[in-house]
Amino acid sequence: MSDGSKTKSASAHRDEFNPFQSMGHQFGLAADLLGLDEGTREVLRQPDRELTVSLPILKDDGTIEVFTGYRVQHNFSRGPCKGGIRFAPDVNLDEVRALAAWMTWKCSVVDIPFGGGKGGVICDPRNLSQGELERLTRRYTAAIMDILGPDRDVPAPDMNTNEQTMAWIMDTYSMHVRRTTTAVVTGKPVAIGGSRGRREATGRGVMLVCREAMKKLGRTPGDTRVVVQGCGNVGGIGALLLHREGYKVVSVSDMYGCLYNNEKGLDMPAVMDHLREEGRLEGYSEADYIDNTEQLELPCELLVPAATENQITSKNADRIQAQLVVEGANGPTTPRGQEILDSRGVMVVPDILANAGGVTVSYFEWVQDRMGYFWTEEIVNSRLEQVMVKAFHSVADMAELHDVNLRTGAYLVAIDRVARVYRMRGVFA
Amino acid sequence: MTETPSDSELLGDIFEDQALPSTPALDEETPFATMMSSFDEAAQTVGVEPAEYQILRKCDREIAFSVPVRLDDGTMEVLDGFRIQHNAGLGPFLGPLRISADIRIVELRALAAWMTWKCAVLNVPFGGAAGGLHFDPRARSSGELERAVRRYTANLLSDVGPERDVFMPDVGSDEQTMAWVLDTVSSHARVTENAAVTGKPTEMGGTKGHTDAVAQGLRVILRLAVDRFDLPPKGMSVIIQGAGTVGGHLARILAADGYRVCGISDVHGGFYNPEGLDVEPILAWRAEQGSLRDCPGDFERISNRELLTKPCEVLIPCATANAIHSKVAAEVQCRLIVEGAHGPVSSRADKILEERGVPVVPDILANGGGVVMSYFEWVQNRMGYAWIMPVIEKRLRRFMAEGWNSVTKTQEEYDVRMRQAASILAVKRVTTADELRGIYA
Repeated sequence: MSDGSKTKSASAHRDEFNPFQSMGHQFGLAADLLGLDEGTREVLRQPDRELTVSLPILKDDGTIEVFTGYRVQHNFSRGPCKGGIRFAPDVNLDEVRALAAWMTWKCSVVDIPFGGGKGGVICDPRNLSQGELERLTRRYTAAIMDILGPDRDVPAPDMNTNEQTMAWIMDTYSMHVRRTTTAVVTGKPVAIGGSRGRREATGRGVMLVCREAMKKLGRTPGDTRVVVQGCGNVGGIGALLLHREGYKVVSVSDMYGCLYNNEKGLDMPAVMDHLREEGRLEGYSEADYIDNTEQLELPCELLVPAATENQITSKNADRIQAQLVVEGANGPTTPRGQEILDSRGVMVVPDILANAGGVTVSYFEWVQDRMGYFWTEEIVNSRLEQVMVKAFHSVADMAELHDVNLRTGAYLVAIDRVARVYRMRGVFA
Repeated sequence: MTETPSDSELLGDIFEDQALPSTPALDEETPFATMMSSFDEAAQTVGVEPAEYQILRKCDREIAFSVPVRLDDGTMEVLDGFRIQHNAGLGPFLGPLRISADIRIVELRALAAWMTWKCAVLNVPFGGAAGGLHFDPRARSSGELERAVRRYTANLLSDVGPERDVFMPDVGSDEQTMAWVLDTVSSHARVTENAAVTGKPTEMGGTKGHTDAVAQGLRVILRLAVDRFDLPPKGMSVIIQGAGTVGGHLARILAADGYRVCGISDVHGGFYNPEGLDVEPILAWRAEQGSLRDCPGDFERISNRELLTKPCEVLIPCATANAIHSKVAAEVQCRLIVEGAHGPVSSRADKILEERGVPVVPDILANGGGVVMSYFEWVQNRMGYAWIMPVIEKRLRRFMAEGWNSVTKTQEEYDVRMRQAASILAVKRVTTADELRGIYA
């Protein structure tokens, strides 16, 4: 694991704002509760495989630039590895390792047959032309080809990579192996083997998890005010679907500010239309446009942080008014933030459960590609619902059994599944 | 076809020509010319980039090879074998294996391209291919045929496979041929590769419902056409040219559905009765006697050409290419033509029909049931799980209806005839995939 610590609890000295350290902390907590032996712990802390590759790319100006790329496969006990590829200047091996582990737990919580993987290339996509990006993607794919494949490791989009990037990967891989292999990568365009319903999947998963958590709290959508931080693929779609379910969405935000209408709530379809046309929320007339520094503290019953990490911290957790927090983003709540919310009785549905809708539909895409037969959007959505509902309840039951919060419950479920499979398969050779 | 133009006259310069799009001067009465001209038009309408257009005008790969065969008398003969793969943008290749003494590479190219369009219109994830073995199966023993098919397959081993190139039967090949191909591929690969061929016997992974798939697809199309063209839903009169795999099955299905089948034919001639034919005894006679000749019954005996110009609501040519040529087109008395065969309406006839206001449901949509069924077989083989008949029927309806809806939507968008709309849809889908995948290396 990324925290590099071999001690069971490093909580006293950890940095509140390092999400990977907090994941390591969660791992330690859950492993203690499960009574995992030190050997299995050690296995689960280390990535199964790490590959660092050097990527010489011919730039448009005729010069050669050499980039560095990584692919880390954290654990493939439960199946082929699954995880995104990111292109960013601050990619580093430690981060990629941590994100790969995160994927192992996420896939395990929703019980899809994958281990965790992650890849990254150190580059600044803003300084690369489309042609350079294509060459970089193809060279990276060729360089990690030996460990890729539908039964080995299946990448997906992540920061600064998209459908087009996935299409290039699929093409490069297919040309090398000399057969059409759509299942080598997910998040492809529908035209070449992508799944219907994938773009909305994470937001839909957030909505489904909200629904189950609300049932647990005995609340109904009609009298629930919702504040959503973010308005992209997760926050925007999540807010839209919550609105459709009858919730009163009172606030959504982008990086510049937030909309707020406590009286009537927001007409989400209209907000999304406005956003699509203007590119930002500012200027939407049916709500106040306010500074977003205190958005999370607005009066509401349900809070969905769906933007970035470290939003609910020791600095603001005691002012959060919601009864339920559903983490659409990765790592929006720091461990100190969580402790404060716990002490105040606020339910927090953790990221590895709440935002797993995306990876679940990635799994569906892989299944469809393997069959070569494609489901209707209704079927994708109904199967996503089955997976998310089942995952929520296995986490809630586990949390109840051990009398812990949902986050620890989710790690318990995830680690228990991986550890069991690891023991069943045994140590090879 | 009344005459047989030479290869270069037919299509040779379409694919060899390095120059950019121009509609080449072609004999307009050949089915390949019909296809290419409608594709040219579609590409121009969609505004395909010239570079993309070049890709589509050439085949991805052409493999020509010799196939030595030991004959029963101990001598050896060396046959010509071909496999043409047109465009892989949408997925692995799918295409027929044709075994005939009349194989020409230009025809195979056109057939391969035709498969690309057809798969694209019906939204099944394949590119088009076509294979040929220059060999007269009727003049040879079964042993000679088997050895030829196995050697043909062996020569293509690095190109065939479920994710590379998938075979289906065509002229001169059948279930047995597909079984030989499957066995050769599987034996070499040392794994069961039954998804490498479709149209197999059901005992070894063939799908249920593949014998009358094209006819079942046409039935779905007819139902959709009733709404679209305001045809009478009950007792509609149809004339079917052909009584074989497509025409015969279609006549039986439509008669059972309550359509009035007024005409049917085979190479020896046609039968016509405006009140409707009693289809079952006619087909039973053909099954026993091998042809419709001397079949008794209450109908007028006429020639194939006369049959096409008799009055009816829907005319469904399911026999030969160019059956409806310009002279016939001027005389047809139907409200709608549905192309059951490959290219039954010549391009000149197509223009005449347009002027006369007779709509034509084009072959790449109408007779796509076979391709859809091949796709279903491939899916079932990949899963290792066979679907039951009701599931197959439902999914066939879904694919045919989606194809129909996409074509009619494209038709409205571009304000063109159905044939152009189908070509536009196909070109769009293939170029989208090609652009997304980009140029490798």
